[in-house]
Amino acid sequence: MKRIINYHVHPVILSKKGRYMKKKIGSCLVVGAGISGIRSALDLAELGYQVTLIDKEPNLGGTLMQLDYQFPSDHCGMCKMLPLVERDKASQYCLRKGVFHENIDIMLSTELVALDGEPGKFQVTLRQKSRFVDPERCIGCGECSRVCPVEVPDGFNAGLTLRKAIYLPVPHNIPNTYTVDVTSCTQCGECEKICPSGAIDFGVEARSRFRILVVDDELVVRDSLKEWLEDDGFHVEMAESGTEALDMLAKDSFHLMLLDIKMPGVDGVEVLKRAKDLYPELTVVMMTAYATVETAVEAMKIGAHDYVMKPFAPDTPVPVVAQLYQDILRTGERLMDVGAVILSAGFDSFQPDEDNNIFGYGVSPNVVTSIEFERIISGTGPNQGKILRPGDGKEVRKIAWLQCVGSRDMQEDADFCSSVCCMFAIKEALLAKERSDNQADATIFYMDMRTFGKDFQRYRDRAEKDYGVRFVRCRVHTVSPADEEGNLKIVYVDQSGETHEEIFDLVVLSTGQRPPVGTEKLAEMCGVELNPWGFCKLQDFSLSRTSREGILVSGSFSGLCDISDSVIQASSASLWASRLIHSKGGGLAEETETKEAQFRDVGSEPPQVFLALCTCGGTIGEAVDLNALTESFKNTESVAEVQVIERICTQEGWDDLQEAMRNSNANRVLIAACNPYVYAKKVRELGERIGLNPSLIDVVDIWTPAFPGRDLNGNQLTREISATVAMGIARLKGMDPCPIPTARIIQKALVVGGGIAGMTAALSIAHHGFDVTLVEQAEELGGNLHYLYRTLEGYSPQELLEDAVLKVEDHPNINVYKNTKVIGSEGQVGRFVTAVERADGSVETLEHGVTVLATGGQEAKTAEYAYGESGAILTQHELEKGLQDGTLDPTKFRTVAMIQCVGSREEPRNYCSRVCCSSTLKNSLYMKEKNPDLQVCVFYRDMMSYGFIETYYTKARNAGREITIPADVLVLGTGIVPGNYKELADQFGVDFNEDGFFQEAESKWRPVDFIKEGIFMCGIAHSPRSITESIASAEASAQRALRILNNERLAAGSIVAEVRHSLCVLCERCIAACPYHARRYDKAEDKIVVDELMCQGCGSCAAVCLNSASVLRGYRDQQVFEVIDAALEGLG
Amino acid sequence: MAKAAKIEVEDGNIVASLQGFFKALLEDGEINALLVPQHLPMKNTVMPTLVTDPEKLNGTDPLAPAFPLNAAKVVSKLTRKPVNGKVAVVLRPCEIRAFIELVKLKQGSMEEVVLVGVDCLGAYSNIHYSRFVGEDSADSTLSFCQNFLEGKGTAFEEFDVSSACKACEYPVPENADLLIGLLGVDINDHLLVKANTPKGTELLDSLGLPATGEPKERKKAIDDLVAERIKYRDQMFKETSEATSNLEKLNFYLADCVNCYNCRVACPVCYCRECVFVTDVFDHEPSQYLRWAEQKGIIKMPTDTVFYHLTRLAHISTACIGCGQCSNACPNNVPVMELFRTIASGTQKAFEYEPGRSLEDEPPLSVFREEEFSELTGGKD
Repeated sequence: MKRIINYHVHPVILSKKGRYMKKKIGSCLVVGAGISGIRSALDLAELGYQVTLIDKEPNLGGTLMQLDYQFPSDHCGMCKMLPLVERDKASQYCLRKGVFHENIDIMLSTELVALDGEPGKFQVTLRQKSRFVDPERCIGCGECSRVCPVEVPDGFNAGLTLRKAIYLPVPHNIPNTYTVDVTSCTQCGECEKICPSGAIDFGVEARSRFRILVVDDELVVRDSLKEWLEDDGFHVEMAESGTEALDMLAKDSFHLMLLDIKMPGVDGVEVLKRAKDLYPELTVVMMTAYATVETAVEAMKIGAHDYVMKPFAPDTPVPVVAQLYQDILRTGERLMDVGAVILSAGFDSFQPDEDNNIFGYGVSPNVVTSIEFERIISGTGPNQGKILRPGDGKEVRKIAWLQCVGSRDMQEDADFCSSVCCMFAIKEALLAKERSDNQADATIFYMDMRTFGKDFQRYRDRAEKDYGVRFVRCRVHTVSPADEEGNLKIVYVDQSGETHEEIFDLVVLSTGQRPPVGTEKLAEMCGVELNPWGFCKLQDFSLSRTSREGILVSGSFSGLCDISDSVIQASSASLWASRLIHSKGGGLAEETETKEAQFRDVGSEPPQVFLALCTCGGTIGEAVDLNALTESFKNTESVAEVQVIERICTQEGWDDLQEAMRNSNANRVLIAACNPYVYAKKVRELGERIGLNPSLIDVVDIWTPAFPGRDLNGNQLTREISATVAMGIARLKGMDPCPIPTARIIQKALVVGGGIAGMTAALSIAHHGFDVTLVEQAEELGGNLHYLYRTLEGYSPQELLEDAVLKVEDHPNINVYKNTKVIGSEGQVGRFVTAVERADGSVETLEHGVTVLATGGQEAKTAEYAYGESGAILTQHELEKGLQDGTLDPTKFRTVAMIQCVGSREEPRNYCSRVCCSSTLKNSLYMKEKNPDLQVCVFYRDMMSYGFIETYYTKARNAGREITIPADVLVLGTGIVPGNYKELADQFGVDFNEDGFFQEAESKWRPVDFIKEGIFMCGIAHSPRSITESIASAEASAQRALRILNNERLAAGSIVAEVRHSLCVLCERCIAACPYHARRYDKAEDKIVVDELMCQGCGSCAAVCLNSASVLRGYRDQQVFEVIDAALEGLG
Repeated sequence: MAKAAKIEVEDGNIVASLQGFFKALLEDGEINALLVPQHLPMKNTVMPTLVTDPEKLNGTDPLAPAFPLNAAKVVSKLTRKPVNGKVAVVLRPCEIRAFIELVKLKQGSMEEVVLVGVDCLGAYSNIHYSRFVGEDSADSTLSFCQNFLEGKGTAFEEFDVSSACKACEYPVPENADLLIGLLGVDINDHLLVKANTPKGTELLDSLGLPATGEPKERKKAIDDLVAERIKYRDQMFKETSEATSNLEKLNFYLADCVNCYNCRVACPVCYCRECVFVTDVFDHEPSQYLRWAEQKGIIKMPTDTVFYHLTRLAHISTACIGCGQCSNACPNNVPVMELFRTIASGTQKAFEYEPGRSLEDEPPLSVFREEEFSELTGGKD
């Protein structure tokens, strides 16, 4: 490829500093593009790996597409996952609309169909279904959908609305391409006829190349099939016996064989066997009469694709064949090598109308699932966000949420908790309250309110106290119709045993998790094991490693988890994928050739704009007079040239544009076309091709004004297009191309805290070849692991500890500083300097590019319940230790009482410590095992046995317990408190929350980041969590750290803020306004300094700065004024 | 707890008493300099002076109804960086309030400053004061105060104190370290001096003045004065709102503006080193003027006059303390103060912000509250 292109007749100075580029060797496949899949893909892409992200659905986003609101903010926030450094490699807009990253190849409607090879070098086969609509040609006008005669329930709205067979899978995607739902499409061809851009192609013409062999001994069957199929354009040949069929197969190749079972001589099954032996690719559909259905089913086991029942009318076999034709001929397969595979295939929701259907789901329209309710309150839902009953459109005034539907239910074979439904229900109840201006009454019927996550308890309390959500502890057993109007009656028994009867408008079922359809197949293909409930099984102490090396799991594929946990797990998975690829030699090694783009220096030239007007396939050309527009733009100041180009979005159009640019002297390019979003990558490539800084190339949208339905007349449209283009020209004119700032990175890490989280983070980073200093203030590494002797699952923390300490202390890249304390730190991402005080009192200064704070926490002290007054009153830790060292002998006890939530889940320590219930179950089960006669009595508020821990809760309950007092031993679950982080937080310039745990940048989307870039948290310092969860968060924080460490230099975005020091009066308002801590006052320099890596170009600083001493590159005042003027002039 | 003392008055000459007090302050107090308004020797004009020599206080007259400039900016210049000495600054309440705003914006520091505030009876515009004072500096001040406190008003010939002063609801400098009180005090006997802060108490203690309590008449006197001024203010708000209720009226209201930017220079809280209106941002392309003219057929030159005032309103109306120096500085008598105070009353209310009240109150744009203005931001979507 030509690197430097000199178009100019004058001498040209080439910018020395081009874009700094490095590519990593290695690639990875991510299966499933929900939150966790996107997170894993972005992680790996940010590390420089090439990622293929596939989803079987035609859209990205998974379940989240249907959820507009997430607690605690009750907003979205998905965009917070976007890259913060090297921003220009990815899109920088709403992630719900789409994901773009240079290193991510997205394939939708695609499934993984085969996996071979070994860890580090898997060969995968991906199969992509045709969507009949060419995304390059579809302009999203919706005409196709208008004429489509088929109406089916819309999955996006959970079936509450109808859609056509050709439809938008998600209303807000960019670009939003229509897609055909093959299963409901009748292929009537109406849409194909009306499509203005010729984007739809059902391939009817190509059907004549689809060769079908009909094998039947009955002439009438053969003839009628031939006739019907040929009417639909297929090529059909016939055989009257098995022998003839085999002969014909030997001579010619066929795509499909329709094969009768019952034939004289060689019967269908025999033909099938031989044919599949010889031609394994051949698709065979059996034809069977009722009597031989069982044979047909057997036939499918030996390779038949499907069967149809005889006798049949034309509408039975023809659609089947048409469908197969699509599947066979129009499905693309791609083979590729990948180092690792991450399975993020998500989950399916329990279908409450299966089995007993005790709640009448599907019977009463006013019984809905939680996802359906989510759609009801969504602005893009069936009623634009008004809470109306599906049954009669009546405003809803009284809603009941029933928890644990399909979870914690032995009858449904669901001895697990689905973990997220409690918070989900509270959020929905709050939204219902808010949406209805507190008119709706919200009641949640629950067994245990599992508010085990960070800040969940306060959210629940707020719902109850401030919003009046009613919580009723009780398992509701039936919901029945109350009257003719569709109201529903719930009978329940309260805590005191009293029976109540209550009427509700709407009942929401909090449906639990199920493994997604196809899990078994996927697991078998990948060679990974499943757990007893069909979810992916994980290795001990891991949230992402499956039973097979190189196959990782992220998100709910191993059991439902909330966004924050999914994100942590996803990063843990990408960390392990990267570790594997690295260990196989691919690693993060740099490619030898680094490409540096070179741009013309146009700073001294007057602006000359090349304007390319796209016809959008005739849409715009028909609506306005393009020639007149061209002429008027030609006369505009600073416009050098105007060209009308057919469909710039297609490769041909793009080539035309490049060709035109080749002969132009222009130093700015404005492309007037459609969705500017989708051009980001192309614009950068164009810039590199023609040697023009991409910031001098811009795209404006002239297509939306011409959108069908807006009904602007020609003049109005011309004015609007003129204004849009004039604005684009004005902005480009004022563009001052500067090299994108880059900063040097000190490729070393500091990890503070040597517990299991800190050790894991250190190892994860060191394993990628970077130096790590691990600082621990105690004498030994290991932290709380020293006090834990077993886990609920039966794993050994001591072995884990021993192993981790050994690995850390032996690792050549890890420096362990024990008995060492941090005494001060300063700097920014990439360049921190931290002073530590060693055991001997000496002070050492460490330079590092990233910091991981893993400073842990400990069991809370208590003075409640007479603790300390008797040796028989213990904490859970003390019990565990006593059981371990033999000072406590369960065989000597008759009764043990345990009290949960001591000092927890009430102010001032109003949070759940997450692990105490598990400890209680663990110690109870252990003692029961030693002494089956022992009575253990647990006093609890809500048993927090979330996820698959539930099964141990069931086990403990089955082991029996009774309330008998007095007890021999009283054990208190006192919970976890954080260390004192105040000093540390001050030193590193980070925040902590009201409970003293570190405050993450965003609770859901950036759970291990601090607001201040380059510093990360993990383990208990974030919030109480189990060993496994601590390890996962440590891996996630290492992953976040590596995306920085991995670069010698990092580039900021092209849009960053600057300070014009001659105007700056140092009032520091910009510092207060910056949400990214990217600004500070440098006392020595007496200046406001912007950290360009941390700056995200949001412009808050520019907005608060009165005299524009703070400016945003690309949005200078003069430029914006000119744009405003252009807009006003254009609209006249 | 506030602590009060007396500055004794002889022969009804409060100006001389104050001069004595300031002399004592400079001699006995732990301060290195005093910033205080004085009649300049060559002219009767009153200007802030920075005095280190106790003998150079003869023209001191903080009670003179003269307000040539808002001295908050002067104090800001003195304290932007360490001044290496303790300075007592004698200011009007609006000057103190402006200075507090500037300190919030890092344009000054309280570190080395003791704020001495004097009950403010109002001041004439610069032009009117020169007519009022005539040749007789101290006596004119005495008669002004006498008249005011005896309820005879402040009108002189055909003019009166500025409308900013008439509309000012903060005549008492409660946020000064040391407060000198006249309202409700028998000024023929003494002036009240009150320490509001530890800093003020320390200074007051060093002077050994006779202790006293706050006269019981004082509260009523203050309340009456404030009530009268609020009445005037609200009428002013009403009239100004009416006069500027649409863009056309606003254009008319500001028609006399010639973009001299005097109001901005005079404004104590307009603190930019260089106003955006004199930077390259407003350096329009010459061809742009023609294009603007072409759009409407006519444009008023210079352009950007209304834009200038709107911008200043957007920038500093939340910090406007209503001193009225903008109007004082306007060569064309544009009623700038009236417009600013009217708009500021709205913006300050919207952010529940009272400028100059306390250093503890953060300026509105430095504070982020997730749930504010949901009716504008569509917080509930």
